[in-house]
Amino acid sequence: MASSEAVKGPGRGTGVESTRLFVRQTSGLVRELGIPAATGISLASVAVVNTFINFNAGLTDFAKSDMYLPLVAAAVIWLVAMFAYRYLLRAVPRAGGEYVYLSRIVSPAIGAMAGLGIAVVFTYVLSTNAHFAAQFTPFMLTGLGLVFHSTAIANAGNHLTSNWAIAWLSVVVMLIVAALGLFRVKIVARIIFWLIVLQVVAFLVLIGILAGTSHSTFVSTFGSYSGHPAAYQSMISVAHANGVLFGTSIASAIAIIPFMVLNYNGVLYSYYVGGELRRPGRTYLYASTISIVLLVILWVGVWALLRDRAGLTFMQAQANLGVINPTAYGKITSLGSVSGGLGYGMILTSNPIARILFATAVPLAEIAVNLAFLTVTTRVLFAQAFDRLLPVGVAKVGDRNHAPNVAIGVVLVIGIAFCFLTSLVALGSIVALQSLFFALILLAGGVAALFLPLRRPELIDTPGAEEGARKAFLRKVAWVGGATTVLALFTVYLLVAHSSVYGKFSWESILTLVIVLGAGPVIYAVARSVRRQRDSLDLSMAMHELPPE
Amino acid sequence: MLGSRRKREKKARALRIYFATDLHGSDTCFRKFLAAAKVYQADVIILGGDFAGKGLVPVLGQDGMLSAQIHGENVTVPAAEWDRLASEVNRAGFYPVRMEADEVARLNDDPDALDRLFRQEISARMQAWCDLAAERLDPAVRCIITPGNDDPVDADAVLAAHPRVECPELELCDLGPVTMASLGVVPTTPWNTERECTEDELGKQISEMMDQLPEGRSCILNLHCPPYASGLDDAPELDATLKPVIRGGRPSIVPVGSHAVREAIGRYQPVVGLHGHIHESRGAQKIGRTLCVNPGSDYSSGVLRGAVVDIAEDGTCLDFLLTTG
Repeated sequence: MASSEAVKGPGRGTGVESTRLFVRQTSGLVRELGIPAATGISLASVAVVNTFINFNAGLTDFAKSDMYLPLVAAAVIWLVAMFAYRYLLRAVPRAGGEYVYLSRIVSPAIGAMAGLGIAVVFTYVLSTNAHFAAQFTPFMLTGLGLVFHSTAIANAGNHLTSNWAIAWLSVVVMLIVAALGLFRVKIVARIIFWLIVLQVVAFLVLIGILAGTSHSTFVSTFGSYSGHPAAYQSMISVAHANGVLFGTSIASAIAIIPFMVLNYNGVLYSYYVGGELRRPGRTYLYASTISIVLLVILWVGVWALLRDRAGLTFMQAQANLGVINPTAYGKITSLGSVSGGLGYGMILTSNPIARILFATAVPLAEIAVNLAFLTVTTRVLFAQAFDRLLPVGVAKVGDRNHAPNVAIGVVLVIGIAFCFLTSLVALGSIVALQSLFFALILLAGGVAALFLPLRRPELIDTPGAEEGARKAFLRKVAWVGGATTVLALFTVYLLVAHSSVYGKFSWESILTLVIVLGAGPVIYAVARSVRRQRDSLDLSMAMHELPPE
Repeated sequence: MLGSRRKREKKARALRIYFATDLHGSDTCFRKFLAAAKVYQADVIILGGDFAGKGLVPVLGQDGMLSAQIHGENVTVPAAEWDRLASEVNRAGFYPVRMEADEVARLNDDPDALDRLFRQEISARMQAWCDLAAERLDPAVRCIITPGNDDPVDADAVLAAHPRVECPELELCDLGPVTMASLGVVPTTPWNTERECTEDELGKQISEMMDQLPEGRSCILNLHCPPYASGLDDAPELDATLKPVIRGGRPSIVPVGSHAVREAIGRYQPVVGLHGHIHESRGAQKIGRTLCVNPGSDYSSGVLRGAVVDIAEDGTCLDFLLTTG
C-alpha cells in the first residue's frame, strides 16, 4: 500500500495537540493552491488597461464625470459579491460557475437556461473585446508610425475608422484568437501569460511617466505634439463652445458605477479553480480581497495622476469633443480622442519601447482576455453538451492538438456574427450592454447565494455547530446573498434608468437581449421534447437530487 | 437513409447501466449510488473504482467530550453525539476513528501500524457498504463494484466474498446484450499508489482479457484510467513537489490518461468505455465508434456524479446522460 502520513493540526482547546488527520498517499489529492497563487489568478483575469476604455466611456457618456466614487463603489459591490461567492464555493467546492450554482440550488431548468445564456453572453463578450481591439487599431498604427518614423503606417490608421473597417478588424482579431486557441493548452497559457505581462508593464510604465511629469510639462508637450502651443487651451475652449459641461457631479458619479463594475470583472475568478484551492473558502477570500484592494489603489492612483497632470477639465473636453465635433477636434490634435491615458503616455515619452507598449497595450490585452474567455466559453459549451442540450460533438477534443476544435469553431462563427452586429447594426453602447450582461451574471450569483440557505441548507457545512449557531450562520449567508442581489439589481437599475447612454433600448438591442436570455429555455425545451418523442432518456434526470436514505 | 434512421430509433432498450466512480469513502455518495438504481431505473449499477477513503480523522475523547478536526476546524461535541460527528467527518470521505492521545502519538511514529489501520477501516467500510447494498437494492438489480488504483487489494477479498456484490476485476462479465471487461490498474502516477504498472503491462493485461471475448460480441470496457488526450483525462500539471503549476494565471492543465487504454479502445472498439480516475475531467467523447465516459467525481461535497447508459438488444449504445445527484 502507498505510504500514509500525518497532517499536524493546531490542537486548540482539546488538551491534545499534534496530529488531527492522517492521510494516505493517494492520487489526485491536489488542493495546493495557496493565497499568492490564487491572487495571481484573480489579477491575471483582470485586463488592467481596459480601465482607460471605461474612463473614456464614463467621460463621454456623462457630463461632469469623475471616477473616484465609481471606482470605490464598484469595488464595494465586488467585495460584497465576494462573500456571496465564498459561501457558494464552500457549499459547492468544485465550482462550475453560476450555471452549476443555479442548477443545484434553484432549479436544474433555471441552471440550464442560465448556462446557455452565459455561453451566448461570453461569446458576445468575445466579440466586444475584439471590437475594442479594432477601435484601438488606428491608435496602435499611429503609435507604431511614430516609433518607426513611417507616415504610411501612421496614416493607415486613418483609413480604419469606418464601421465596416472596425467590423472587419474585429473579425481579424477573432480569427487570431481562434487560431491561437487551437494550440495546445500549455502553449495558450504561455501566450496569455506574456500578453498579460506586456499590458501590466505598459500600465506601470505609464504610471512612472505620469508621476515624473508636471502639469505644465504635459500642457507644453501636448502643444508640441499637436503642432501649436495653445492646443491644450484650445481643446477646453472649443469643447466649452460645443456645449461640453465641466466639473463634477454626484449624480454622474453614481451613473458611471456600472462602467466601473465592468472594470473589476474577473477579480473573483479564483473561484473557478475552487477545486484546487487549499482551504477554498479562506484562500479565496484573502486572494480576492487582496486583488480588489490592489486594483482600487492602482486605478484610483492612476486616475489621480491623470487628473493632476492632464487635468479633469481637459480630459472631459478631449473625450467629449472627439465625439460631438470630430472635425473641430481634428483641427486641434491628431491624438485619438479614445486613447485616454495611453495616448498621454504616448506623447509624454519619446522612448520607442514605451511607445510600442502603449500602442499595443489594448489590442494585446483584448487578445489575452479573449483567449481566457475562449477557454471559459468552450467549457460552458462542454457542460451544455454533457447535459445533452447541445450535440456531444460540440465537446469533441482534437486528437492532435487536444483542443476543443468544434467548440472553438462554434464560438468563432457566432462571435463573428456578433462582430458585424456590434459594428454595423448599432446594438447600442457595447460597453453598456456588456455591463448589463455582467450585472446579470452577478445577479445570478447573488440569487444563488440567497437561495442557498433556503433551498439547500444541507450543502452548507457547519461542523460541530449547535442548532442555534447553525441557523444564525444560514441567516448570514442569506443576508450576504440578499445584499449581493440588491447591489446587482441596483447596477441593473442604473443601466435601465440611463438607457439613453447604457444600452439604448432599441428594438435591435432588446431583440439581442431576448435571444441571449431566451436561448437557454428554448433549447432546453426542444431538446427535452425531442428525447421524449424518441422515448429516450429524460433530460430532467441529469440533475435529479438523489435521496441518500 | 430516412428508413435506417427510423429503424435505429425503434431499437428497444435492453439494458440500462448506471455508472459512478471515485467515491473515496463517502458514505453519502454510496447511499446515493444505491438509490440511483431506483431513481434512474437501472438494471445494473457499476461502481468503477477508488472506493477507498483518503484520510483518517482521530476522534479524541476527554471528559465526556469528543474532539476532532474537520476541514481544518477543531470541533468538540458531547460524547453522545458521536454519530453526528462521525457523519460530518465522513462528508469529506474520511474515516473517523475513536482513539486516545497516546495512540495518535504511536501512529505518528509507526507508519506500518497506520497503514494497517487504514486497510482495516477501508475493508470494514466496504463490508458495511456491501451489507447496505444487500439490504436496499431490488433483487433484480445487479451491483458491480470494481477496484481502482487507490483501493488496497485487501478490499478485494471483501467484495469477492459478498453474495450481493459482483467484482469481476480482470475478468469478462456478461451483462446480457454486452460483455464487460474491467481493470482498475492505471499507469504509474506521482503518488505511487496500490495498483499501478507500466503502459506496456497495462496494454498486456487488457489484451489478455479481451482476447477471451467471443468474436462479434459487443463489449464495454470498464477501465479506471481514461484514454490519453481524450478530454476525459485533463488534470492539473504538477511540479516535483506535487504542487499545481500555474501558467498564464491559471493552473496548467495537461492530459494524464493512458496510451495503452487509448490503443485498446482503438483496437477493440467497444460500444462504451467507462472511466474515472480524473475527478475534474467529467465528460463524454467519441473515439472512433466508442462512446467514452468519465462521470467525474465530487465526493467531497456529497454530490454523486454518474452516467446513465442505455444499451439496445443488439449491444449498441442507444443513449447516455451524465447525471449529478
